[in-house]
Amino acid sequence: MFEIQNLTARYGPLIAVNDVSLSFETGVRMGIFGHNGSGKSTFLKCLVGGVKDVSGAVAFGGSPIVADQVHRNVMLGIGFVPQVQNVFPNLTVEQNLHIAGSKSDSSFLEEAYALFPLLRERQDQLAGDMSGGEQQMLAVALALMTRPQILLLDEPTAGLAPAIVKNVLESLLRINSELGTGLILVEQNVLAALDVVERAIVLKGGRVVFDGASEELRAKEDLWAWF
Amino acid sequence: MEYILTVMVLIGINVVLATSFNLILGYGGLMSVAHPIFYAIGAYCSGLLAIHLQIPVPLSILIGAGIAMVLSFGVSLPSLRVSGDYLVIASIGFQLGILHVINNLDFTGAAGGLTNIPVLNEGPSRSLVFVLLIAVVAACAVLLVAWIVEGDYGRAITAMRNDEEAFSALGRNAMNIKIVLFAIGSGMAGLAGALYAHYFAYVTPEQFGIFTSAALLTMVVVGGAATTWGPLVGAVLLTTLPQAITFLGLPVSIMAPLQGVIYTTLVIFFLFARPQGLTGGSRGGGGLEAWSASAAFRARRDAE
Ligand SMILES: Nc1ncnc2c1ncn2[C@@H]1O[C@H](COP(=O)(O)OP(=O)(O)OP(=O)(O)O)[C@@H](O)[C@H]1O
Ligand SMILES: [Mg+2]
Repeated sequence: MFEIQNLTARYGPLIAVNDVSLSFETGVRMGIFGHNGSGKSTFLKCLVGGVKDVSGAVAFGGSPIVADQVHRNVMLGIGFVPQVQNVFPNLTVEQNLHIAGSKSDSSFLEEAYALFPLLRERQDQLAGDMSGGEQQMLAVALALMTRPQILLLDEPTAGLAPAIVKNVLESLLRINSELGTGLILVEQNVLAALDVVERAIVLKGGRVVFDGASEELRAKEDLWAWF
Repeated sequence: MEYILTVMVLIGINVVLATSFNLILGYGGLMSVAHPIFYAIGAYCSGLLAIHLQIPVPLSILIGAGIAMVLSFGVSLPSLRVSGDYLVIASIGFQLGILHVINNLDFTGAAGGLTNIPVLNEGPSRSLVFVLLIAVVAACAVLLVAWIVEGDYGRAITAMRNDEEAFSALGRNAMNIKIVLFAIGSGMAGLAGALYAHYFAYVTPEQFGIFTSAALLTMVVVGGAATTWGPLVGAVLLTTLPQAITFLGLPVSIMAPLQGVIYTTLVIFFLFARPQGLTGGSRGGGGLEAWSASAAFRARRDAE
C-alpha cells in the first residue's frame, strides 16, 4: 500500500507537486492525468524518491520512501518506467534484461520473453536500434524484472500508433490480472487509459483536482475542459 | 640507445596513465581532470617512504599506489554524493591544492623537486630491465581495464553511463560503480607515478599540473575513449611525437608552446571529426559518443 501525506515537490522556486495526500492499495489500477507540466512525472518520481527537494511523507508497505535513494526504494517492490530514456541503447535486449534482473534469478528472463515474445526475437539487437513501441515493451519488461508489486509507468504509449497503444495497454492489463501487479499509469491517451484503470486522478498545477472512479471521469460532460 | 630506452619507459608509464584515465573518463563517464595528481601522490609517497623510512623500493611502490587509491575517495565520496558535475570542480581543487602543498613543503623538495629517490634496480642493463618491467605493467593495466569492462560489471558500467536515472530505477547503485572506477583508476595512476619516481630518481611538481591533464586527455581522446587499445595508441603517439619534434632543433621558446598547440588542435579535431578516436569503431558506443548523446538528451529533456 502506498501512503502519501502532504507531498510537496520543488524545483528551485517552482512548486511542481503541491500538498498532495493520497493512498492506494498495491494491486490498484490507477491513472494519473493532466496537462503538460501539471506535475504528473514529478509526482510519479516522488513515489520512488527521484526528486530531491520534497516535503511531506511517502511510504510503501509501511517503509518510508527516502528522497534521492531510488535504487533502494525500488527494491521495496516498485517497478518504475521513466517517461524518457528508459532503456539502455548501447546494450542488446538481453543485456538490458540482465542489468534489470541482476538482483533476481534468470527464470525471470523467460517470464519476460513469455510476456513479450517479440523481445525474444530481438534479443541480440541493440535496444537503441529498436522502434519506439519495441523500446516501450522492453522498458516495461525491464521494470518487471525486479519483481515489483506495483508498476509505475510514465506515458508508456507516448508516440505510438493507435494500434500499438492498444497492444501496450492490453499487455499491462494482462500483467495486472496474471501477476497481480498494480498499475499506476500516467497517460495522455486519456480515453484509452480509462479503459484500463479503475481509479483516476487529475492533476492541475501540482494539485489533485479530481480523484474518483474512472467511469466517473469518463462520464463528465466537460471532460475535455480538464485537459 | 639509452635515449630510446628512456623514451620507452615514458611510453610505458603513459600507457598506464592513459589506460587508467580512460577507465575513469571514457568508461565511467566521470569528468575529472585530477588524474596527474594521483600520479604525483604515488610518486611522492613512494619516493618519500623510500628516502626517509628506508622502505624497500618494491614495497614503497605498492604503498604509494595504495595511498593514491585511498585518497581518491576523498575526492569521489563527497563530490559524487552531490552530483557528477561537482567532480570536475572538486578534482580541480584537489589537484591545485595538493600541488600547492608539494610546491611549498621543504619536506617534498618544494618547487625544486624531490631528488635522490632510490632507484628500483641498478646495474649495467638497468634501463633494459626497467623497460621490460614497465611493459609487463602496462600490459597488465590494459588487460585489467579490458577485464573490468567486459562481462556483467562492464555492462552495468555501460548502462550507468547510458542513463543513470533508468539504472537506479532498476535498483542498481550508480554511485558505487563510479567510486570503484575512480579508485581503481587513481590507484593505477599512483603505481605509474611510483614507477616513474624510482626510475628517474627525481620528480618535480610541475610534471603533475594542468598541462599533464591536457596531455592525458589528448591521449585518451585521440586514441579512442572507452576502447581497449585507444589509450595505448594515444599514449605511444603522444609520447613519441614531442620527442620527434625535439629533433627539429627548434628553440625552447617555440617548442613549448608548439606542443600545447598540437595537443589542443588534436583534441578539438578529434572531438568534432572523429569522436570515437583512432581505434573506435564507427559506432561503438564509446565514451565521448555516449556523453554527447546523453548530454544532448538531457538538454532536450530539460528544455521540455
Ligand atoms: N528537472 C526539472 N528541473 C526544473 N523544473 C522541472 C524539472 N522537471 C520538471 N520541471 C517543471 O515542473 C513542472 C512539472 O513537470 P512534470 O514533468 O512533472 O510535468 P508533467 O505533468 O509530467 O508534464 P508532461 O505531460 O509534459 O510530461 C513543469 O513546470 C516543469 O517545467
Ligand atoms: Mg511527464
